[in-house]
Amino acid sequence: MSDGPVLSLRGVSKNFGGVRALIDVDLDIHQHEVLAVVGDNAAGKSTLAGVIAGVYRPDAGRVLLDGAPVVLDSPAVARGLGIAAVFQELALCDNLDVVENLFLGHEPTRGGFLDEIEMERRAWDLLGQLATNVPSVRLPVRALSGGQRQVVAVARALLGSPRVVVLDEPTAALGVRQTAEVLNLVERLRERGHAVVLISHQAADLQAVADRFAVLRLGRIDGELDAASVGYEDLLAAMTGVSRPSGRKPR
Amino acid sequence: MSAVQRHGSLTQIELAGVTGLSPATVSNIVKELAASGVLHTSPSTRSGRRALQVTLARGLGLVAGVHFGSRSMRVALADAAMQLLADQRMPLAPDHRADAGLRRAALLVVEMLESLDAGPEELLAVGVCLPAPVDRATGSITTVGMLRGWDGISVSEVIGRELAVPVAVDNDANLGALAETRLGAAVGHENVAYLRVSHGVGGGLVMGGQLVHGRSGGAGEIGHVTIDENGPICRCGNRGCLETFVGAPALLGMLTASHGHLTLRDVILRAEDGDPGCRRVLSDAGQHLGVAAANLCNLVDPEIVVVGGQLADAGEILLGPMRTVVEQRTMPSTAGPARVVASGLGAAAEVRGALAVALDTARVSGALGVIP
Repeated sequence: MSDGPVLSLRGVSKNFGGVRALIDVDLDIHQHEVLAVVGDNAAGKSTLAGVIAGVYRPDAGRVLLDGAPVVLDSPAVARGLGIAAVFQELALCDNLDVVENLFLGHEPTRGGFLDEIEMERRAWDLLGQLATNVPSVRLPVRALSGGQRQVVAVARALLGSPRVVVLDEPTAALGVRQTAEVLNLVERLRERGHAVVLISHQAADLQAVADRFAVLRLGRIDGELDAASVGYEDLLAAMTGVSRPSGRKPR
Repeated sequence: MSAVQRHGSLTQIELAGVTGLSPATVSNIVKELAASGVLHTSPSTRSGRRALQVTLARGLGLVAGVHFGSRSMRVALADAAMQLLADQRMPLAPDHRADAGLRRAALLVVEMLESLDAGPEELLAVGVCLPAPVDRATGSITTVGMLRGWDGISVSEVIGRELAVPVAVDNDANLGALAETRLGAAVGHENVAYLRVSHGVGGGLVMGGQLVHGRSGGAGEIGHVTIDENGPICRCGNRGCLETFVGAPALLGMLTASHGHLTLRDVILRAEDGDPGCRRVLSDAGQHLGVAAANLCNLVDPEIVVVGGQLADAGEILLGPMRTVVEQRTMPSTAGPARVVASGLGAAAEVRGALAVALDTARVSGALGVIP
């Protein structure tokens, strides 16, 4: 286990016009750890995910990868550096099948043709690692359940073995059974050594799998909490601003 | 009927042996029940001779088993022949709440029924096990403050209201013991001690083939046997309980300084990879378990001690030291020391036990189509 954080944000701010979505955010993300980012609506959770995944460029502050500053210009650059994200809108193509979705845009070829056999083999490999119950990789994605789609989206993010996986609201709008699948999936990602950033406002789901919590409130990191010692009420109190977690002085 | 249900599947000859009826009587009863659609028979062989395998008919309906652990929940569905049809695990928050947890369990059962294309009317009964001593009559937890937010809640009432079927509630280690005795590592034994070592430590006893509950469901709670009178305060309020030495918070706490934040599974995986710190923590846990298990053996003299729960995945790293201590500290017997083995059903033991009591409940309530 490497001691230093894989990815660090230092003093990151992001404005959308007059709206200050993120203000002076410091965050460390470690390997083999599930960092849960919680916050109320409009706390800046999805913006934070966007900054980490290279979708938004911060207006101020630095992003450090293994301690060295990097500029995440686009999701492709972030991917190249080993940071993958799955957003609320999964961005899967409903009419394409699972394999086509997984490899869309970076299909392996052989002799100028798509290497379908290789793609299907790797698709099964990936889905197998995630211990999923996707019935066939040749089904169009629209035929899959919400949980299965989530798994396909995560599988796509895992192509090329990223070090950091960002999941934005992965359990929103899922049934209990699918939520269970997604939470099991997060545990497996952690076990495989990925750094997982889990963003949600469903505190109970996060508590089930998180190692550490960062509480985001009105664009600021309001404090960090150790998952082992934090209760449900503490978390809600921190999200709603009733209490400020200790360990960080109020601003 | 009850014999077939308890054993899941057996031949007519074995059935005669178990019930004490003559083979001809058994054959007649089986024929009658098979004709009325309650039993299912299929030809098979036993010691080279033709035999008739008897199981409960599939079409009778389904039962659900729910296992609440400290950090996860597991729900399984099985048919009346005890064939596992669906199995789903879900991580839970530490200190999870009864209302939210039970609602989720009920929803999960319904969603899993749907995934099997089964209607809610096909569900016959539900078995639930909880990580604390349970009064089976009221279906509520009998300790105070052990499972925060669960005190005074009748689990059988809540689940029964949600799913409208009979509900059996018991302690998780008790049902683990039952499952191991009927289907797992202790098949063929009458006197079995089961230790469930996971986030907490629990125990279940089967004596003379029957589960022992004691006055209020607390029998076999080995996790709260005192190991050190001056030890740390336990969540139960006493000092130096076994759980304060081998429960997950204790084991993980010992490793925080050197290894950082780990889960129980991380510790086991690393110990298997040869990490000396993690191995030491597990072998020490094995010794502490051995001390408690030896005392238990001296009290109730079981034939076999089955170790389940997540820590049993560590295998011999844990069981080796445990076995040594048990052999040292039990009264020498001509029968030799009790065997110490790992669970045969693994993480599924408790949920299988829950399925078994669900089927028992279905039979007693008459849902299997015969008057008990």
